[in-house]
Amino acid sequence: MKYGKITPYLFVLPMIVGLLVFRLGPVAAAVLASFTRWNIQTPPVFLGLSNYGEAISSEIFWLVFKNTVVFALIFVPGVMVVALLMALMVNQKLRGIAFFRGLYFMPYITAMVAVAMVWNWIFATRFGVLNFVLTSVFQISDPPAWLADRAWALPALAIVAIWKQVGFQMLIFLAGLQGIPYSLYEAAAIDGASRRNQFFKITLPLLSPITFFVFVITVIDAFKTFEVTYAMTGGGPNNASTTLAFYIYQNAFIFGRMGFASTLALFLLFFVGLTTLLSFKLKDRLVEYAL
Amino acid sequence: MTTATRSIPSERPERTTIGSIWNSRLPRTLLSYLLLLIFSLITIFPFLWMVITTFKSRGAIFSLPPQLYPDLLFKEGMWDAYVTVLTKYNFLRYTANSFFVAGMASIGQLITASLAGFAFARMKFRGSALLFAILLSTTIIPVEAIIIPEFLLMAKLDWLDTYLPLIVPSFLVASFGTFMLREFFASIPDELVEAAVLDGASTFRIYASIFLPLSIPAMTTLFLIAFIHNWNDLLRPVLYISTSSLRTVTIGLTTFQNEYGAQWNLLLAGAVISILPLLIVYIFAQRYIVEGIATTGLK
Repeated sequence: MKYGKITPYLFVLPMIVGLLVFRLGPVAAAVLASFTRWNIQTPPVFLGLSNYGEAISSEIFWLVFKNTVVFALIFVPGVMVVALLMALMVNQKLRGIAFFRGLYFMPYITAMVAVAMVWNWIFATRFGVLNFVLTSVFQISDPPAWLADRAWALPALAIVAIWKQVGFQMLIFLAGLQGIPYSLYEAAAIDGASRRNQFFKITLPLLSPITFFVFVITVIDAFKTFEVTYAMTGGGPNNASTTLAFYIYQNAFIFGRMGFASTLALFLLFFVGLTTLLSFKLKDRLVEYAL
Repeated sequence: MTTATRSIPSERPERTTIGSIWNSRLPRTLLSYLLLLIFSLITIFPFLWMVITTFKSRGAIFSLPPQLYPDLLFKEGMWDAYVTVLTKYNFLRYTANSFFVAGMASIGQLITASLAGFAFARMKFRGSALLFAILLSTTIIPVEAIIIPEFLLMAKLDWLDTYLPLIVPSFLVASFGTFMLREFFASIPDELVEAAVLDGASTFRIYASIFLPLSIPAMTTLFLIAFIHNWNDLLRPVLYISTSSLRTVTIGLTTFQNEYGAQWNLLLAGAVISILPLLIVYIFAQRYIVEGIATTGLK
């Protein structure tokens, strides 16, 4: 195939425009905006580092930071364990297994606002079906108010987010499981290894590159969680379920503080970047085999 | 049970023949199905409860204990909630808007991704490796972190309250699709290209008349995945759309929720309507979507 010198660049041109205008450009612009006081009506005023100072010295910021970490601590292990379990289950050779695979993936393709609505209704304090089950079946006399409860709002959001997201990670685990050579299990079985041992000595170690990948994307998912908060609690009660991405949205588009929100956005970028970087630094030690 | 499992084509030999710790397959199989069903129930219950509630009267919604069997099912007024939401609350319009926005954005992603994927897979040019690395590494940037400058840009361009902010960014940012189509284009054998080269076809012709038609399955997968993401997007419609007739289903649903907080049958009928089109597509094209994500999500 012969082509002129600039032809390849014409092919990638739309992508480069997108990359510059909607990815790299905004990152640079966010850095600049983070040094300013800026609401949309008035031109930005240069503030130096004072947005950063304000963030670090504000109580809400640390509450939001804590909430984000707590959310991640529930969401990441929850998604990973359930996704792996599901992947192991749908990796069996059973009749109708494709149906279950399709079913487990279903929540992932549905709109968060739509499913959040029914979860709101399930979590409702007085008429919700969850509290009905808790009081009548499990004899809990004083079930929590869930979304209206300072202690339970965030875990409730995490449960919904896990339920919605887990199908995606399941598929990735599944692809990983199917990449493990079956001959290894045969050899282990001939040597008399129990299924339990096969799982811990073959499946888990050989799956570790996939597990690592799933871990990284799940942590990033946790940091940027927005829709479930927006649709279910709006960050309440009293900021108890506000996480970083939602706090950015609030500051920028509810309070009109574009500069401060940009500072927060850079914290988010920093955490995501740091997680990715640390993960790849640790990769060699955590990942036992390369498939 | 053994005959049932054998009927499924399998490259792997049956596990029991090697001597597992279970003497009989039967209890294991039953246990597997039991677990599968428990997880299915957890997955499906919210959807079920959603649909059940839409077929209840106001009184039945707030009854204690909650009723599993909806009182209006197969009775007069069964579809009232849906009719009200579709006509009086404009969900027909919102659904049409979502189809338009998600369709345009996804077609755009196909164009951008196939052009760039073709260049990365089939041409040598300075900076291609670097460009590809930048493309991949920027996929970790969360939209929430860069939405503020994007919003200010849209305001500057006077694009607020139009569909352009919902279409143009996802039109042009197609990292996932570029990656996927690059892999696919690279796998197309050279012989197919050589004939066209001898005929003197231009590069663009080779792209358009050889590569695009050959990649229809991959493009379908990409289109569906993009369509799902665009259909479900919440943040951009929330920020950019204020005119009620321009709302997509997701923003239509949230504003509806704010205005009619406790009318659960109506709210959930709206939710069902917003989910249904994707669900139908998913049921018919499940193989494309699931396989597309399973193979490309990995890399």
